[in-house]
Amino acid sequence: MSEPDSRIIVYTCNWSAYSGLETAGSQGLSYPANVHPIRVMCLGRLHPGLILKALELGAAGVLLLGCPPGECHYLFGNTRAEELFQQTLALARLLGISEKRLKLDSLASGQGQHFVTLVRQFAEQAIGESRAAGQEVP
Amino acid sequence: METIEQAIKENRAYYCLDCGKCTSVCPISWREPLFSPRTMVEATKLDTNGAVLHDGRLWMCLTCDRCTQICPSDVHFIDFVRDMRILARGASEEGHCSHGATIQTWMRMMADPSLKQNRLDWLTDDLITAEESDTVYFVGCLPHYEALFGKIGAQGVEIAQSAVRILNHLGIEPIVLADERCCGHDLYWEGESDTFRQLAALNTEMLRATGAKRLVTTCAECARTLKMDYDLGMEVMHMSQLLAQNESQLPNSISGKVTYHDPCRLGRHLGVYEQPRQVIAALGLEMAEMAHNRGRAVCCGTSAWTHCGPTAKSIQVERLREACAAGAETLVTTCVKCQIHFRCALDDPHLHDELNIEIKDLTTLVAEAMEVVSANG
Repeated sequence: MSEPDSRIIVYTCNWSAYSGLETAGSQGLSYPANVHPIRVMCLGRLHPGLILKALELGAAGVLLLGCPPGECHYLFGNTRAEELFQQTLALARLLGISEKRLKLDSLASGQGQHFVTLVRQFAEQAIGESRAAGQEVP
Repeated sequence: METIEQAIKENRAYYCLDCGKCTSVCPISWREPLFSPRTMVEATKLDTNGAVLHDGRLWMCLTCDRCTQICPSDVHFIDFVRDMRILARGASEEGHCSHGATIQTWMRMMADPSLKQNRLDWLTDDLITAEESDTVYFVGCLPHYEALFGKIGAQGVEIAQSAVRILNHLGIEPIVLADERCCGHDLYWEGESDTFRQLAALNTEMLRATGAKRLVTTCAECARTLKMDYDLGMEVMHMSQLLAQNESQLPNSISGKVTYHDPCRLGRHLGVYEQPRQVIAALGLEMAEMAHNRGRAVCCGTSAWTHCGPTAKSIQVERLREACAAGAETLVTTCVKCQIHFRCALDDPHLHDELNIEIKDLTTLVAEAMEVVSANG
C-alpha cells in the first residue's frame, strides 16, 4: 500500500445513489473534503479489484452506495453488487484488512441528507480503523 | 533488462531461422492469424524506433513454452516475451488484466512488508503443523482463489487442507507461514519485475529463516517460480513429486477413468510429466490420455490472468472436448489456475450437455482416496 491516507472512496450507482449525492449538492449540504465519489452506471459493474485497488493506493475506506433493494435500474445489479462485495470482504480478511474499512449500503433518489450522514459515519469508522491498524492518517 | 537489443541477445533471438515451427505449435496462432512468435521475433530485430513495444500482441503470448520446446535454434521465446514486456511497461504499456486486475492488486498489496495477513483460517484443528520442521508447505494464493472463484466451484482451501492432511499421513508435520506472500509468478511473466522482486525478497527471507530443507507446494506455478526464479537454498518440489516418491504409502482405493492435464509450468517448464501419472495409477484409477499429452499438452488458455477472451475460451473448450473424447470421467490437474479456467469454460450453459466431465486437483483426489481407506477402517 502507498502512503497512509484519509481518503474515502465512494462508488455510487448512476441511478439512485448518485442522485442522492446531487441532491446533497443542490441543497448546499456539505460532506468531508476527503470523500471522493466515483460514479459508475451500476454497482454490479464493479469488481473486487476496483475496491482493493483503492486500498492499495492508500484509501482509508471504500463505501459502495447503490439502489435500495428491489429498485435496481438493471434489475440484477443489486445481487451482483452483494456478491462482489462478499468476495471483496473475504479477500480483505485474508489480506488482514479490517472489514470496517469497507461497506455496502443503499440510497434512494433525492436522499441528500442521508447521503451526507452515511458518508460522515463511514469516513469516521474507516479512518479510525486505519489508525488502529497502525497507519498514520493525516 | 535495459534495451531491446539486450532482450534479443540474451534470448538468442538472432539465431531464429525463420522456420515457423513455433507458430505452427502455438495455440494462440492457431486461432489468431495475426499472432506469430516467429514474426514477433523478426519484427523486433527489424525495429528501429521501439514500435514493437507498443504492439498489443506482445501480451497475447501464454508463455506456455510449446514454441521454445520445438525451436531448432534454441531461441528462448517465452523469456524473450517476458523481457520485452518489462521494456514495454517502461514505455507505459501493459496487458489487459481480466477480473478487474483483482489478482494483480492483491499481489501488489502483499509486496508491502508491513502487511499483517490473516491467511490461515483454513487450518482446522485436525491438521498438524509445526513451528520447526524439515518441510515447509507453501500454500500460495489458494484461499484467495477460492474467495474469488468459489462461485464457479473452484477448490482452493480444499487443496491446502488436503495437502496438510497428506503430509501428516506421510508422517510430516510441515511449517505453514502465517505471512507468506504470493510467489509473484504472474507479475514476473507480465514484466512487473520490481514488484516481483519485492515479493521474492519477502518470501525468501521468511523461508530461509525457517531452516527447512525442503519446500512442498501444490501449485505448478509456485513450484516453477520458487525453483527457477528464486534462490532459496532448499529443495523445491511439487506435491505430485513428493507423492510419487512415497508411492508405496498411497492407497489403492478408488476406481474410475481419468485423464491428466499437464500444466505448462509443471510440464514443459519443470519437466515433471510422469510423477502425477504414477500417483494416479497408484490410486487405482485408469488413465485415459488425451491426444495432446506431456510435452505436447495444450495450455489451459490464459496465463497470468491476462488477455482472457474468445481465444482463451476456445482453447479451454477444445481441451475439454479432448478430455471427453478420451473417455475420461474426470480431468485431473495439478494447477489451481488450470482448474479455475476449465471450470469457467464448463460454466457455459450451451456446453453443459456436451462437456460432461469433472475437474479435480491431484492433491484433493489423493486425500479423497485416503479418506476412503479410513472410512473402511
